[in-house]
Amino acid sequence: MRPADLTPVARDVMKLPAGPGLVFASFIAAYLFNSLPWSGWALLARPDLVLVVLVFWAIHQPGSVGQGLAFALGLAMDVGDSMLLGQHALAYVIATYGAQVLRVRVLAFPILEQTLHVLGLFIGASAVVVLLNLLLGASLPGLAAMLSPALAALAWGPLTWILYLPGLRRMRRESAA
Amino acid sequence: MIREPPPFFHRGPSPLARLTFFALLAIATMIADHRFGALDAVRLSLSVLVAPLQQLAAAPATALGRIADYFSSQDRLLRDNEELKAKLLEYAADAQRAKLLQAEQDHFLSMTPARSRFATDGVLAEVLSYGRNPFVRKLVLDKGLTQAIKAGMPVIDGEGVVGQVTAVGTFTSEVTLLTEKDQSVPVMLTRNGLRALAVGSGKDGSIDVPFMPVSADIQNGDLFVTSGIDGTYPAGLIVARVTAVEKNAAYVFAKITAKPAAGVDNHRFVRILTAARPAAAPPPDARADEKRPARERAPAKGRRQP
Repeated sequence: MRPADLTPVARDVMKLPAGPGLVFASFIAAYLFNSLPWSGWALLARPDLVLVVLVFWAIHQPGSVGQGLAFALGLAMDVGDSMLLGQHALAYVIATYGAQVLRVRVLAFPILEQTLHVLGLFIGASAVVVLLNLLLGASLPGLAAMLSPALAALAWGPLTWILYLPGLRRMRRESAA
Repeated sequence: MIREPPPFFHRGPSPLARLTFFALLAIATMIADHRFGALDAVRLSLSVLVAPLQQLAAAPATALGRIADYFSSQDRLLRDNEELKAKLLEYAADAQRAKLLQAEQDHFLSMTPARSRFATDGVLAEVLSYGRNPFVRKLVLDKGLTQAIKAGMPVIDGEGVVGQVTAVGTFTSEVTLLTEKDQSVPVMLTRNGLRALAVGSGKDGSIDVPFMPVSADIQNGDLFVTSGIDGTYPAGLIVARVTAVEKNAAYVFAKITAKPAAGVDNHRFVRILTAARPAAAPPPDARADEKRPARERAPAKGRRQP
Protein backbone atom coordinates (compact mmCIF):
# COMPACT_ATOMS: atom_id res chain seq x y z
CA MET A 1 0.00 0.00 0.00
CA ARG A 2 1.52 3.27 -1.07
CA PRO A 3 0.29 6.58 0.23
CA ALA A 4 -0.99 8.91 -2.44
CA ASP A 5 1.83 10.97 -3.83
CA LEU A 6 1.02 14.51 -2.84
CA THR A 7 4.56 15.88 -2.67
CA PRO A 8 4.92 19.18 -4.47
CA VAL A 9 7.02 18.16 -7.44
CA ALA A 10 8.50 21.53 -8.30
CA ARG A 11 9.42 24.45 -6.16
CA ASP A 12 8.92 27.19 -8.70
CA VAL A 13 5.75 27.04 -10.70
CA MET A 14 3.13 24.44 -11.02
CA LYS A 15 3.34 22.98 -14.49
CA LEU A 16 0.48 22.03 -16.71
CA PRO A 17 0.55 18.42 -17.84
CA ALA A 18 1.89 17.95 -21.35
CA GLY A 19 -0.65 16.91 -23.92
CA PRO A 20 -0.59 13.44 -25.47
CA GLY A 21 0.41 15.05 -28.76
CA LEU A 22 3.65 16.39 -27.30
CA VAL A 23 4.47 13.07 -25.65
CA PHE A 24 3.84 11.20 -28.89
CA ALA A 25 5.78 13.70 -31.01
CA SER A 26 8.74 13.60 -28.64
CA PHE A 27 8.94 9.82 -28.87
CA ILE A 28 8.71 9.92 -32.66
CA ALA A 29 11.48 12.53 -32.83
CA ALA A 30 13.68 10.52 -30.46
CA TYR A 31 13.14 7.36 -32.48
CA LEU A 32 14.04 9.23 -35.66
CA PHE A 33 17.24 10.43 -33.99
CA ASN A 34 18.12 6.88 -32.97
CA SER A 35 17.39 5.66 -36.50
CA LEU A 36 19.79 8.08 -38.20
CA PRO A 37 22.36 6.17 -40.24
CA TRP A 38 24.91 5.80 -37.43
CA SER A 39 27.82 3.53 -38.10
CA GLY A 40 31.19 2.58 -36.70
CA TRP A 41 32.13 4.05 -33.34
CA ALA A 42 29.47 6.75 -33.68
CA LEU A 43 26.96 3.93 -33.44
CA LEU A 44 28.53 2.75 -30.19
CA ALA A 45 28.58 6.28 -28.79
CA ARG A 46 25.06 7.13 -29.97
CA PRO A 47 23.09 8.63 -27.09
CA ASP A 48 19.84 6.75 -26.78
CA LEU A 49 17.36 9.62 -26.98
CA VAL A 50 14.38 7.28 -26.78
CA LEU A 51 15.56 6.28 -23.34
CA VAL A 52 16.13 9.92 -22.34
CA VAL A 53 12.63 10.91 -23.42
CA LEU A 54 11.19 7.84 -21.73
CA VAL A 55 12.87 8.64 -18.42
CA PHE A 56 11.86 12.29 -18.79
CA TRP A 57 8.16 11.47 -19.10
CA ALA A 58 8.36 8.74 -16.47
CA ILE A 59 9.64 11.40 -14.08
CA HIS A 60 7.53 14.35 -15.17
CA GLN A 61 4.34 12.59 -16.17
CA PRO A 62 4.16 9.25 -14.37
CA GLY A 63 0.45 8.97 -15.02
CA SER A 64 0.76 8.68 -18.77
CA VAL A 65 4.16 7.05 -19.37
CA GLY A 66 5.10 3.88 -17.55
CA GLN A 67 6.70 0.51 -17.92
CA GLY A 68 4.22 -0.81 -20.47
CA LEU A 69 5.21 1.91 -22.93
CA ALA A 70 8.87 1.32 -22.03
CA PHE A 71 8.48 -2.32 -22.98
CA ALA A 72 6.81 -1.49 -26.30
CA LEU A 73 9.45 1.12 -27.18
CA GLY A 74 12.18 -1.36 -26.30
CA LEU A 75 10.72 -3.86 -28.75
CA ALA A 76 10.58 -1.15 -31.41
CA MET A 77 14.26 -0.35 -30.80
CA ASP A 78 15.20 -4.01 -31.02
CA VAL A 79 13.41 -4.36 -34.33
CA GLY A 80 14.96 -1.16 -35.65
CA ASP A 81 18.47 -2.19 -34.66
CA SER A 82 17.82 -5.82 -35.61
CA MET A 83 18.91 -7.12 -32.25
CA LEU A 84 17.53 -9.98 -30.19
CA LEU A 85 13.94 -9.06 -29.37
CA GLY A 86 13.48 -8.01 -25.76
CA GLN A 87 16.88 -6.77 -24.70
CA HIS A 88 16.12 -3.08 -25.06
CA ALA A 89 12.70 -3.82 -23.61
CA LEU A 90 14.34 -5.16 -20.45
CA ALA A 91 16.79 -2.26 -20.25
CA TYR A 92 14.04 0.34 -20.72
CA VAL A 93 11.72 -1.29 -18.21
CA ILE A 94 14.47 -1.34 -15.59
CA ALA A 95 15.40 2.30 -16.29
CA THR A 96 11.74 3.32 -16.10
CA TYR A 97 11.37 1.55 -12.80
CA GLY A 98 14.41 3.44 -11.52
CA ALA A 99 12.86 6.68 -12.71
CA GLN A 100 9.58 5.89 -10.95
CA VAL A 101 11.36 5.17 -7.71
CA LEU A 102 13.60 8.23 -7.93
CA ARG A 103 11.17 10.72 -9.42
CA VAL A 104 10.19 12.68 -6.32
CA ARG A 105 13.81 12.92 -5.28
CA VAL A 106 15.05 13.87 -8.75
CA LEU A 107 12.47 16.62 -9.13
CA ALA A 108 13.61 18.23 -5.91
CA PHE A 109 17.01 18.97 -7.47
CA PRO A 110 18.11 21.53 -10.04
CA ILE A 111 19.05 20.35 -13.54
CA LEU A 112 22.72 19.56 -12.83
CA GLU A 113 21.96 17.15 -10.00
CA GLN A 114 19.07 15.73 -12.03
CA THR A 115 21.59 14.98 -14.77
CA LEU A 116 23.74 12.99 -12.37
CA HIS A 117 20.72 11.01 -11.23
CA VAL A 118 19.62 10.09 -14.72
CA LEU A 119 23.22 9.31 -15.71
CA GLY A 120 23.03 6.43 -13.26
CA LEU A 121 19.83 5.19 -14.90
CA PHE A 122 21.37 5.42 -18.39
CA ILE A 123 24.52 3.58 -17.33
CA GLY A 124 22.35 0.87 -15.82
CA ALA A 125 20.31 0.52 -19.00
CA SER A 126 23.32 0.27 -21.31
CA ALA A 127 25.00 -2.14 -18.89
CA VAL A 128 21.96 -4.40 -19.23
CA VAL A 129 22.23 -4.39 -23.04
CA VAL A 130 26.01 -4.98 -23.03
CA LEU A 131 25.72 -7.79 -20.48
CA LEU A 132 22.98 -9.52 -22.46
CA ASN A 133 25.08 -9.35 -25.61
CA LEU A 134 28.12 -10.70 -23.78
CA LEU A 135 25.93 -13.62 -22.68
CA LEU A 136 25.04 -14.13 -26.33
CA GLY A 137 28.71 -14.42 -27.24
CA ALA A 138 29.48 -10.93 -28.54
CA SER A 139 32.85 -9.48 -27.67
CA LEU A 140 33.17 -6.48 -25.38
CA PRO A 141 32.34 -3.26 -27.24
CA GLY A 142 34.94 -0.52 -27.42
CA LEU A 143 35.40 2.39 -25.08
CA ALA A 144 33.08 4.44 -27.27
CA ALA A 145 30.18 2.51 -25.74
CA MET A 146 30.89 4.23 -22.41
CA LEU A 147 30.29 7.55 -24.10
CA SER A 148 26.69 6.71 -24.92
CA PRO A 149 25.16 7.07 -21.43
CA ALA A 150 27.26 10.18 -20.77
CA LEU A 151 26.03 11.86 -23.95
CA ALA A 152 22.48 10.81 -23.12
CA ALA A 153 22.81 12.42 -19.70
CA LEU A 154 24.16 15.59 -21.35
CA ALA A 155 20.98 15.69 -23.42
CA TRP A 156 18.90 15.78 -20.24
CA GLY A 157 19.21 19.51 -19.63
CA PRO A 158 18.40 20.71 -23.16
CA LEU A 159 15.61 18.16 -23.42
CA THR A 160 14.00 19.34 -20.20
CA TRP A 161 14.06 22.87 -21.57
CA ILE A 162 12.63 21.86 -24.97
CA LEU A 163 9.84 19.72 -23.54
CA TYR A 164 8.88 22.41 -21.04
CA LEU A 165 8.52 25.11 -23.68
CA PRO A 166 5.07 24.16 -25.01
CA GLY A 167 3.68 23.94 -21.49
CA LEU A 168 5.21 27.26 -20.49
CA ARG A 169 3.84 28.96 -23.58
CA ARG A 170 0.40 27.59 -22.95
CA MET A 171 0.53 28.77 -19.36
CA ARG A 172 1.61 32.25 -20.42
CA ARG A 173 -1.16 32.39 -22.97
CA GLU A 174 -3.71 31.29 -20.43
CA SER A 175 -2.56 33.71 -17.80
CA ALA A 176 -2.63 36.54 -20.37
CA ALA A 177 -6.15 35.66 -21.40
CA MET B 1 -4.50 -0.28 10.41
CA ILE B 2 -4.22 1.54 7.09
CA ARG B 3 -7.45 2.20 5.36
CA GLU B 4 -7.95 1.78 1.65
CA PRO B 5 -7.25 5.02 -0.20
CA PRO B 6 -10.19 6.57 -2.02
CA PRO B 7 -10.66 5.10 -5.50
CA PHE B 8 -9.26 8.09 -7.38
CA PHE B 9 -5.84 7.40 -5.87
CA HIS B 10 -5.77 3.87 -7.22
CA ARG B 11 -2.82 3.37 -9.52
CA GLY B 12 -2.91 -0.31 -10.23
CA PRO B 13 -0.05 -2.61 -9.26
CA SER B 14 3.05 -1.15 -7.59
CA PRO B 15 6.09 -0.24 -9.71
CA LEU B 16 7.99 -3.23 -8.35
CA ALA B 17 5.21 -5.61 -9.33
CA ARG B 18 5.14 -4.05 -12.78
CA LEU B 19 8.91 -4.33 -13.06
CA THR B 20 8.76 -8.01 -12.18
CA PHE B 21 6.03 -8.62 -14.72
CA PHE B 22 7.66 -6.73 -17.59
CA ALA B 23 11.16 -8.01 -16.85
CA LEU B 24 9.89 -11.57 -16.94
CA LEU B 25 8.02 -10.79 -20.14
CA ALA B 26 11.19 -9.34 -21.70
CA ILE B 27 13.25 -12.35 -20.68
CA ALA B 28 10.58 -14.68 -22.06
CA THR B 29 10.65 -12.70 -25.31
CA MET B 30 14.41 -13.03 -25.55
CA ILE B 31 14.31 -16.76 -24.92
CA ALA B 32 11.52 -17.24 -27.44
CA ASP B 33 13.43 -15.22 -30.03
CA HIS B 34 16.84 -16.75 -29.38
CA ARG B 35 16.03 -20.37 -28.69
CA PHE B 36 12.98 -21.00 -30.80
CA GLY B 37 12.97 -18.18 -33.35
CA ALA B 38 9.28 -18.03 -32.55
CA LEU B 39 8.87 -14.29 -32.92
CA ASP B 40 9.61 -13.80 -36.59
CA ALA B 41 5.99 -12.82 -37.21
CA VAL B 42 6.13 -10.26 -34.39
CA ARG B 43 9.40 -8.87 -35.73
CA LEU B 44 8.04 -8.70 -39.24
CA SER B 45 4.87 -6.84 -38.26
CA LEU B 46 6.79 -4.45 -36.00
CA SER B 47 9.29 -3.82 -38.77
CA VAL B 48 6.46 -2.82 -41.08
CA LEU B 49 5.44 -0.26 -38.44
CA VAL B 50 8.89 1.21 -37.92
CA ALA B 51 10.09 1.00 -41.53
CA PRO B 52 8.63 4.39 -42.58
CA LEU B 53 10.34 6.07 -39.62
CA GLN B 54 13.64 4.46 -40.51
CA GLN B 55 13.35 5.53 -44.12
CA LEU B 56 12.52 9.05 -43.01
CA ALA B 57 15.58 9.09 -40.76
CA ALA B 58 17.82 7.75 -43.50
CA ALA B 59 16.46 10.21 -46.08
CA PRO B 60 18.80 13.18 -45.41
CA ALA B 61 21.93 11.04 -45.62
CA THR B 62 20.66 9.35 -48.77
CA ALA B 63 19.90 12.71 -50.35
CA LEU B 64 23.36 14.00 -49.41
CA GLY B 65 24.91 10.92 -50.96
CA ARG B 66 22.94 11.49 -54.16
CA ILE B 67 24.03 15.11 -54.31
CA ALA B 68 27.65 14.15 -53.71
CA ASP B 69 27.33 11.58 -56.48
CA TYR B 70 25.95 14.20 -58.80
CA PHE B 71 28.84 16.54 -58.20
CA SER B 72 31.50 13.85 -58.25
CA SER B 73 34.25 15.18 -60.40
CA GLN B 74 34.47 14.58 -64.12
CA ASP B 75 38.04 13.46 -63.57
CA ARG B 76 37.06 10.64 -61.25
CA LEU B 77 34.31 9.47 -63.57
CA LEU B 78 36.73 9.36 -66.49
CA ARG B 79 39.24 7.40 -64.46
CA ASP B 80 36.57 4.98 -63.28
CA ASN B 81 35.42 4.57 -66.83
CA GLU B 82 38.92 3.73 -68.04
CA GLU B 83 39.37 1.23 -65.27
CA LEU B 84 36.04 -0.41 -65.95
CA LYS B 85 36.78 -0.68 -69.65
CA ALA B 86 40.10 -2.35 -68.91
CA LYS B 87 38.38 -4.73 -66.54
CA LEU B 88 35.71 -5.49 -69.10
CA LEU B 89 38.32 -6.50 -71.65
CA GLU B 90 40.04 -8.59 -69.05
CA TYR B 91 36.82 -10.39 -68.17
CA ALA B 92 35.63 -10.76 -71.75
CA ALA B 93 38.06 -13.57 -72.47
CA ASP B 94 37.11 -15.27 -69.21
CA ALA B 95 33.44 -14.91 -70.06
CA GLN B 96 33.94 -16.50 -73.46
CA ARG B 97 35.74 -19.42 -71.92
CA ALA B 98 33.10 -19.71 -69.21
CA LYS B 99 30.40 -19.87 -71.86
CA LEU B 100 32.23 -22.63 -73.65
CA LEU B 101 32.72 -24.54 -70.41
CA GLN B 102 29.09 -24.00 -69.50
CA ALA B 103 27.97 -25.46 -72.79
CA GLU B 104 30.27 -28.40 -72.29
CA GLN B 105 29.04 -28.88 -68.74
CA ASP B 106 25.43 -28.71 -69.83
CA HIS B 107 26.16 -31.36 -72.39
CA PHE B 108 27.74 -33.66 -69.82
CA LEU B 109 25.07 -32.96 -67.24
CA SER B 110 22.37 -33.88 -69.74
CA MET B 111 23.84 -37.35 -69.73
CA THR B 112 23.76 -37.79 -65.94
CA PRO B 113 21.16 -36.81 -63.37
CA ALA B 114 23.65 -34.52 -61.61
CA ARG B 115 22.76 -30.85 -61.21
CA SER B 116 25.04 -27.91 -61.77
CA ARG B 117 27.04 -26.90 -58.72
CA PHE B 118 27.54 -23.37 -59.88
CA ALA B 119 25.52 -20.27 -59.23
CA THR B 120 23.21 -19.10 -61.95
CA ASP B 121 20.44 -16.73 -60.97
CA GLY B 122 20.81 -13.67 -58.84
CA VAL B 123 19.19 -10.39 -57.92
CA LEU B 124 21.04 -7.11 -57.81
CA ALA B 125 20.49 -5.35 -54.50
CA GLU B 126 21.51 -1.96 -53.21
CA VAL B 127 23.16 -1.62 -49.82
CA LEU B 128 20.90 0.61 -47.75
CA SER B 129 22.97 0.72 -44.59
CA TYR B 130 25.49 -1.15 -42.53
CA GLY B 131 22.98 -2.22 -39.91
CA ARG B 132 22.69 -0.64 -36.51
CA ASN B 133 23.44 -3.47 -34.17
CA PRO B 134 26.80 -2.47 -32.63
CA PHE B 135 27.50 -6.05 -31.64
CA VAL B 136 27.03 -7.72 -35.02
CA ARG B 137 28.00 -6.12 -38.33
CA LYS B 138 25.39 -6.55 -40.99
CA LEU B 139 24.41 -5.09 -44.32
CA VAL B 140 20.84 -4.04 -44.96
CA LEU B 141 19.77 -4.57 -48.57
CA ASP B 142 16.78 -3.14 -50.44
CA LYS B 143 15.32 -6.50 -51.48
CA GLY B 144 13.04 -8.55 -49.27
CA LEU B 145 10.14 -10.95 -49.17
CA THR B 146 8.47 -9.17 -52.07
CA GLN B 147 11.40 -10.18 -54.28
CA ALA B 148 11.30 -13.75 -52.95
CA ILE B 149 14.49 -13.37 -50.95
CA LYS B 150 14.89 -16.09 -48.36
CA ALA B 151 17.13 -16.44 -45.34
CA GLY B 152 20.22 -18.46 -46.18
CA MET B 153 20.83 -17.09 -49.65
CA PRO B 154 24.47 -16.23 -50.34
CA VAL B 155 25.45 -12.68 -51.25
CA ILE B 156 28.41 -11.76 -53.45
CA ASP B 157 29.96 -8.65 -54.88
CA GLY B 158 32.26 -8.20 -57.85
CA GLU B 159 35.22 -9.69 -55.99
CA GLY B 160 33.81 -12.55 -53.97
CA VAL B 161 31.49 -13.74 -51.25
CA VAL B 162 30.17 -11.04 -48.92
CA GLY B 163 28.01 -13.13 -46.62
CA GLN B 164 24.64 -14.69 -46.22
CA VAL B 165 21.10 -13.38 -45.87
CA THR B 166 20.11 -14.04 -42.26
CA ALA B 167 16.86 -12.13 -41.85
CA VAL B 168 14.26 -11.00 -44.34
CA GLY B 169 11.78 -8.19 -43.96
CA THR B 170 9.04 -7.17 -46.33
CA PHE B 171 11.17 -4.82 -48.41
CA THR B 172 14.62 -5.27 -46.89
CA SER B 173 16.90 -8.09 -45.91
CA GLU B 174 19.89 -8.38 -43.62
CA VAL B 175 23.18 -9.91 -44.61
CA THR B 176 25.54 -11.22 -41.96
CA LEU B 177 29.10 -10.73 -43.14
CA LEU B 178 31.53 -13.53 -43.72
CA THR B 179 33.89 -11.97 -41.21
CA GLU B 180 31.41 -12.12 -38.33
CA LYS B 181 32.15 -14.39 -35.43
CA ASP B 182 30.94 -17.96 -36.01
CA GLN B 183 29.99 -17.42 -39.65
CA SER B 184 31.49 -20.34 -41.50
CA VAL B 185 31.87 -21.25 -45.16
CA PRO B 186 33.16 -24.56 -46.53
CA VAL B 187 36.05 -23.68 -48.80
CA MET B 188 38.55 -25.28 -51.12
CA LEU B 189 42.08 -24.24 -51.94
CA THR B 190 42.30 -23.53 -55.67
CA ARG B 191 45.94 -24.61 -55.88
CA ASN B 192 45.53 -28.17 -54.64
CA GLY B 193 41.85 -28.76 -53.90
CA LEU B 194 42.40 -28.94 -50.14
CA ARG B 195 39.08 -28.70 -48.28
CA ALA B 196 38.74 -26.50 -45.25
CA LEU B 197 36.27 -24.46 -43.25
CA ALA B 198 36.61 -20.67 -43.20
CA VAL B 199 35.28 -19.13 -40.00
CA GLY B 200 34.83 -15.40 -39.39
CA SER B 201 37.05 -14.13 -36.61
CA GLY B 202 34.73 -11.31 -35.58
CA LYS B 203 37.54 -8.79 -35.37
CA ASP B 204 39.44 -6.60 -37.85
CA GLY B 205 37.57 -8.14 -40.77
CA SER B 206 39.65 -11.28 -41.12
CA ILE B 207 38.84 -14.96 -41.50
CA ASP B 208 40.36 -17.90 -39.65
CA VAL B 209 40.86 -21.34 -41.09
CA PRO B 210 40.93 -23.56 -38.01
CA PHE B 211 41.74 -27.25 -37.62
CA MET B 212 44.25 -27.50 -40.43
CA PRO B 213 47.14 -29.80 -39.56
CA VAL B 214 50.60 -28.25 -39.42
CA SER B 215 51.57 -30.42 -42.37
CA ALA B 216 48.79 -29.01 -44.58
CA ASP B 217 50.02 -27.51 -47.83
CA ILE B 218 48.86 -23.92 -47.44
CA GLN B 219 50.96 -20.93 -48.39
CA ASN B 220 50.68 -17.20 -48.18
CA GLY B 221 48.63 -15.81 -51.06
CA ASP B 222 46.66 -19.01 -51.67
CA LEU B 223 43.09 -18.47 -52.80
CA PHE B 224 40.09 -20.07 -51.13
CA VAL B 225 36.90 -20.59 -53.13
CA THR B 226 33.63 -22.09 -51.92
CA SER B 227 33.58 -25.85 -52.22
CA GLY B 228 29.81 -26.07 -52.43
CA ILE B 229 29.50 -29.10 -50.18
CA ASP B 230 27.20 -27.34 -47.72
CA GLY B 231 24.37 -26.83 -50.17
CA THR B 232 24.16 -23.14 -49.26
CA TYR B 233 27.01 -21.57 -51.14
CA PRO B 234 27.39 -22.59 -54.78
CA ALA B 235 30.83 -23.87 -55.69
CA GLY B 236 33.56 -21.73 -57.13
CA LEU B 237 32.90 -18.36 -55.52
CA ILE B 238 36.04 -16.58 -54.37
CA VAL B 239 36.10 -16.27 -50.58
CA ALA B 240 39.45 -15.15 -49.26
CA ARG B 241 43.19 -15.01 -49.78
CA VAL B 242 45.58 -16.40 -47.19
CA THR B 243 47.54 -13.61 -45.51
CA ALA B 244 49.38 -15.41 -42.73
CA VAL B 245 50.32 -19.01 -42.04
CA GLU B 246 51.79 -19.72 -38.63
CA LYS B 247 53.06 -23.24 -38.20
CA ASN B 248 54.26 -24.08 -34.76
CA ALA B 249 55.22 -27.66 -34.01
CA ALA B 250 54.05 -27.16 -30.43
CA TYR B 251 50.45 -27.05 -31.59
CA VAL B 252 48.44 -29.65 -33.40
CA PHE B 253 46.92 -27.15 -35.81
CA ALA B 254 48.38 -24.39 -37.90
CA LYS B 255 47.10 -20.87 -37.38
CA ILE B 256 45.89 -19.60 -40.74
CA THR B 257 44.50 -16.15 -41.32
CA ALA B 258 42.88 -14.99 -44.53
CA LYS B 259 41.53 -11.73 -45.83
CA PRO B 260 38.14 -11.78 -47.56
CA ALA B 261 38.26 -10.96 -51.26
CA ALA B 262 35.01 -9.00 -51.21
CA GLY B 263 35.29 -5.39 -50.15
CA VAL B 264 32.24 -5.08 -47.95
CA ASP B 265 32.83 -1.47 -47.02
CA ASN B 266 33.04 0.13 -50.43
CA HIS B 267 30.27 -1.35 -52.48
CA ARG B 268 26.86 0.05 -53.09
CA PHE B 269 25.53 -2.93 -54.99
CA VAL B 270 25.73 -6.62 -54.27
CA ARG B 271 24.19 -9.69 -55.82
CA ILE B 272 21.93 -12.07 -53.95
CA LEU B 273 22.17 -15.55 -55.42
CA THR B 274 18.56 -16.63 -55.46
CA ALA B 275 18.88 -19.95 -57.22
CA ALA B 276 21.57 -21.35 -55.04
CA ARG B 277 21.94 -24.96 -55.86
CA PRO B 278 19.54 -27.44 -54.20
CA ALA B 279 20.68 -28.69 -50.82
CA ALA B 280 21.68 -32.21 -51.72
CA ALA B 281 20.94 -34.02 -54.90
CA PRO B 282 18.49 -36.85 -54.30
CA PRO B 283 19.96 -40.32 -54.52
CA PRO B 284 20.36 -41.43 -58.13
CA ASP B 285 17.74 -44.15 -57.80
CA ALA B 286 15.04 -41.75 -56.71
CA ARG B 287 15.82 -39.45 -59.57
CA ALA B 288 16.08 -42.26 -62.03
CA ASP B 289 12.52 -43.28 -61.32
CA GLU B 290 11.32 -39.98 -62.68
CA LYS B 291 12.23 -40.28 -66.30
CA ARG B 292 15.60 -41.79 -67.00
CA PRO B 293 15.92 -45.27 -68.42
CA ALA B 294 17.47 -47.75 -66.03
CA ARG B 295 20.68 -48.24 -67.95
CA GLU B 296 21.76 -44.65 -67.38
CA ARG B 297 21.80 -45.04 -63.63
CA ALA B 298 25.12 -46.77 -63.39
CA PRO B 299 27.39 -43.92 -64.55
CA ALA B 300 25.60 -41.54 -62.22
CA LYS B 301 27.07 -43.23 -59.17
CA GLY B 302 30.08 -41.66 -57.64
CA ARG B 303 29.64 -38.35 -59.41
CA ARG B 304 30.49 -35.05 -57.87
CA GLN B 305 34.03 -35.92 -57.01
CA PRO B 306 36.14 -32.84 -57.33
